[in-house]
Amino acid sequence: MRIGFLFSRGEVPLTRDVSARFLPWLIAFMVYLAGLALLAAVAMDRMAARWQGDLEGRLTVQVPPPSDPGDETARQERLDRVVQVLLDTAAVSQVEVLSRAQTATLLEPWLGEAAAAPELPVPDLVAVTLRSATAALEDLPERLATAVPGAAIDDHQRWLARLFALAGSIEALALLVVALVGIAAVATVIFVTRTGLAIHRQVIELLHVMGARDLYVAEQFQAHALRLGLAGGIGGAVAAAVTVLGISWLLRGEQSVVLPGVAFGWAQWSMLAILPLVTGLVAMLTARWTVLRTLAKLP
Amino acid sequence: MVETAWRPIPTFANRGRFLIRLEEVTLRYGEGPPVLRRVSCHLEPGSFHYLLGASGAGKSSLLKLLYLAQTPSQGRLSLFGRDVAQLTRRDRALLRRRIGVVFQDFRLIAHLSAFENVALPLRIAGEPDARIRSQVRELMDWVGLREALDALPPTLSGGQQQRVAIARAVIGRPSLLLADEPTGNVDDRIAMRLLYLFRELNRTGTTVMLATHNESLAARMPQPCLRLAEGQVREEPTEVAPPAAETVGG
Repeated sequence: MRIGFLFSRGEVPLTRDVSARFLPWLIAFMVYLAGLALLAAVAMDRMAARWQGDLEGRLTVQVPPPSDPGDETARQERLDRVVQVLLDTAAVSQVEVLSRAQTATLLEPWLGEAAAAPELPVPDLVAVTLRSATAALEDLPERLATAVPGAAIDDHQRWLARLFALAGSIEALALLVVALVGIAAVATVIFVTRTGLAIHRQVIELLHVMGARDLYVAEQFQAHALRLGLAGGIGGAVAAAVTVLGISWLLRGEQSVVLPGVAFGWAQWSMLAILPLVTGLVAMLTARWTVLRTLAKLP
Repeated sequence: MVETAWRPIPTFANRGRFLIRLEEVTLRYGEGPPVLRRVSCHLEPGSFHYLLGASGAGKSSLLKLLYLAQTPSQGRLSLFGRDVAQLTRRDRALLRRRIGVVFQDFRLIAHLSAFENVALPLRIAGEPDARIRSQVRELMDWVGLREALDALPPTLSGGQQQRVAIARAVIGRPSLLLADEPTGNVDDRIAMRLLYLFRELNRTGTTVMLATHNESLAARMPQPCLRLAEGQVREEPTEVAPPAAETVGG
């Protein structure tokens, strides 16, 4: 495609159109929304990846407390039986019994200070590290249940599956937002282009009568749309970048269990940087298509 | 008007063939009644015709057909020996570049200077800038508007605008020049000067069709006529006689 049209002055005074003045703002807003959607998708992706990385090759064994939660001897004896079963398992590389204090810390967000009360029948937790993420556990659940009735393995898969489903849904939603934003941008450009064609009908008909080919007129509209699309796209992308940096700054050092990190990597920054180019090109091609389609109706 | 070296290039490419040929052409807008009904006529290359008729007789509609702004509802229109219905979109655009049009309301682009308005057909044709500059300056000299090159149309008088419009129509050295009431917005003195200008163009080979309802003016420079009435054309090869009751101002 020739690019000379980008720099030539057109006969159709499109820069004076009131309707076109709003186009960069609309596109900026849309690109900003797309940027935020991208941010949400990245955050969910990061969170899912982090959880998967943390939990891969790990198990938690829950050992129910003895009938008397305050009987420390019985509690320790049950834990020893469980640990022995685990150590006898070939797939297990490391076993760590969480202290009451560690368990209480884990439960504190839900139970508050009461989590540390000795009379609370909180199960003991044993963190197990496997030799590999795909190690076969064979009959470990049965042997644990035999050693301590009620002892159970949590391999976190159910929880992870829910997390992945949530992350997948949010990523799909983000993509949907980007798609809707794209459709809205295309519809807006079509509307603005048609308005421009109507406003400048006389000039366009004059050019047509003088022998201008449809492309000659279309190039003026597409160059104008490209400029507006780029301007709006750059504005929206800059605003989105500022928002991302702001949120990253607010969450700095925050390694919460719940809040994921949102700092963009080079791939995300590249996507954000490309957005203005994409919007500019989409605006340009949409304007070109609209003009050619409309002018095709002229004799 | 300043005399310079500028002259349209004689166009004899279609000598011996009809430049314009209408065969049973009918034109109607939408579902409305026909504006032109089964019109048949032809013009030879290098001819000069007046297109006469009262206001609303269909003169502008016939011109629109000839500069390809409309297509016949029925019948066949041939230009430069080619049936326009058979032309591709690209060929139509190229054909339009061989036709100069002077509109009654000038249709100058208000935000472009006189220079840029006149240069338009050359820009559309993709001529190089240097050639555009020299040709436009030469032609603007010829129509006496050397000083108005940078003027915007709204700042020009009616007569000046008319000359800019004519310059724009002939800058591409058209084979066919169509003028729709070109004398409608100027006084009779300027109107006569415009007629002489058209005749001069015609003498260099440009086929001219000039639509007017001002028969007394046409009578002062007699040429063959096509008369439109009730949607039909009658050819009057003889000169127009001035109506007895009318006088032409000088």
